[in-house]
Amino acid sequence: MVDMTQLLQSLVNGVGVGLIYGLVGIGFCVIYNASGIVNFAQGVFVMLGGMVCHTLLTRLGLPIYLAAILTIPIVALSGILIEIAVVRPMWNRGAALFAIILATLATQLMIERITILTLGDQPRSFDEFTSGGPLKIGDIAIGYQIFWILGCGALMVGLLWLFFTRTTAGRALRACSQNREAAALLGIPVSRMLMLSFALSAALGAVAGILVTPTQVTAYNVGTPFGVNGFIAAIIGGFGSAAGALAGGVLLGVLQAVAIVMFGAGFKNVAALSVLLLVLFIFPAGIFAGLQGGKAH
Amino acid sequence: MTSRATTFTRRVATTAAPVALVLVVLLLALNSNGYVVTIVGFAAIYGIFCTGLNFFMGYTGQASFGQNAFAALGGYGTAILTATYYWDPVAAFFVSMIFAGIVAAIIGYPTLKLRGHYLAMATFALGLITYEISIEWIDLTQGYMGYSGIPPLGVFGFELATEKQQLVALALLLLLGVWISTRLRDSRFGRALRSIAGSEPAAQALGVNVARYKLAAFVIAAMYASAAGSLFAHFVGFISPEVFGAAMVIQSFTMLFLGGIGTTWGPVIGALIVSMLPEVLRGMHLKELQDVAYCIILVSILIFAPKGIFALIGEGVAAITRRRATETAPSAAAAQAAG
Repeated sequence: MVDMTQLLQSLVNGVGVGLIYGLVGIGFCVIYNASGIVNFAQGVFVMLGGMVCHTLLTRLGLPIYLAAILTIPIVALSGILIEIAVVRPMWNRGAALFAIILATLATQLMIERITILTLGDQPRSFDEFTSGGPLKIGDIAIGYQIFWILGCGALMVGLLWLFFTRTTAGRALRACSQNREAAALLGIPVSRMLMLSFALSAALGAVAGILVTPTQVTAYNVGTPFGVNGFIAAIIGGFGSAAGALAGGVLLGVLQAVAIVMFGAGFKNVAALSVLLLVLFIFPAGIFAGLQGGKAH
Repeated sequence: MTSRATTFTRRVATTAAPVALVLVVLLLALNSNGYVVTIVGFAAIYGIFCTGLNFFMGYTGQASFGQNAFAALGGYGTAILTATYYWDPVAAFFVSMIFAGIVAAIIGYPTLKLRGHYLAMATFALGLITYEISIEWIDLTQGYMGYSGIPPLGVFGFELATEKQQLVALALLLLLGVWISTRLRDSRFGRALRSIAGSEPAAQALGVNVARYKLAAFVIAAMYASAAGSLFAHFVGFISPEVFGAAMVIQSFTMLFLGGIGTTWGPVIGALIVSMLPEVLRGMHLKELQDVAYCIILVSILIFAPKGIFALIGEGVAAITRRRATETAPSAAAAQAAG
């Protein structure tokens, strides 16, 4: 019989990691809405977020808040590089959809290998942002990092909402997502918007990576699981709505946590991937399809 | 209609030349040291894998990022049946292949209803699931440690003891695989597949059962992949989850796109060139650096030559034959341009 405390504990952990999946999922949606491209290298930003932050912490001895704030633009730059060097040339030549997907997949493998060559292949981690904890409610322990994830997740969604509704660039991005030709006719530089979406999406991934690393370890190969789980979160949310992706992420995180309690940690990725296939087969428009009122905000 | 004579010359140009190339490479390899034999052997195995993948991605125009799943089924099927249960390699080969085909049919049925990036992600997930299972189901697959002690390829008790004997067998199987691919490409079946690549609604309107043909191409690709996995297991004598990981997907796509997707001989030539790359990149001792080189090559091909180098040569040859053919039969040119 499954222990009740253990189940609740894993639910708490599941919500934490699920929010991270949600952030990655939003990253998928930002690029997809601007361009119709699914960036299979999305998970690599999460990996880079954790790895770059760890490097800044240990090699330069920076305090965590400074390291975190510096990491975000560095990873965003990597997103811009991917856009300029890989996606834009293919986009301009009208490459087939699966050729672009393949190119982003190859880019992910390339960045992973470069990470091994420069930073090594050993897993690493850094301390939680606030020492002390965990908070005890009965027998359930809630690490302080989860509150950071909750707070920063909410902050990111709030900032994104402000960006998409209150700024010219954000509105231009939404215009691109609705109709690229019309947006171009209105004088919106569509290709620069594509670059902006990659930078934004990479920054989101970096935030997710920085937030999640203290609760587990990061290594060159964490990108694929985060990327796939983020994609699943985006699909559950109907691909396109940020709130849907976040909800999808939490749902997936909780499902995975329950799967770990039931079947052991080894098969948690198999469980998540099976959920992906089931969602694709049964609800190809997303579980929250009805809630998908406004796109990209 | 294409006249009998032009069909014959085209067949010589597109079949005899590549067959001769494969035989020349085989002869060269047989007269050199063990390292070259290994490289050419890998090229032949990957050639079989890519020829299968070409059915689904080239002829039918669909995307599968998870063919490594079926190579893993073949590889582990052969490893388990021959090393642990002492089956005859041929029996293990065919049982694994049929098993992979059945799995592909069952999984492909719902998967192939998806389109675009959903199809890409779903197939990618298939490869990841197999990879995770091959790591975690230690009782069956021996996990990370891998499966060793797989006997070399053999037929009814007669074992191909040396690598060179195995290489001859691999080359013959490769030629057989490509021959099937060539015959099917221009058959009623192959034309139906290619009509799907052209336009699904148009194919449907012409009476092609799109779903059934897609599934058939997927199953064929899976069976080729399984065969390649089994042959790899025999050739190396050892397999581990990493052999059938995401790097395999990238490598096989590099071969397919370099050689020319949708052509009959492109996958084989791509496999040969890409397998030679470690030799060219000999200065890069690290496996990681070689992987980076693969990725850069693949992305460059995708950007600058999405049809592959073989197609480029083929276009040149076609242009010459077309000039000759237009004098006798104008419609032959159209047929050639389409084919």
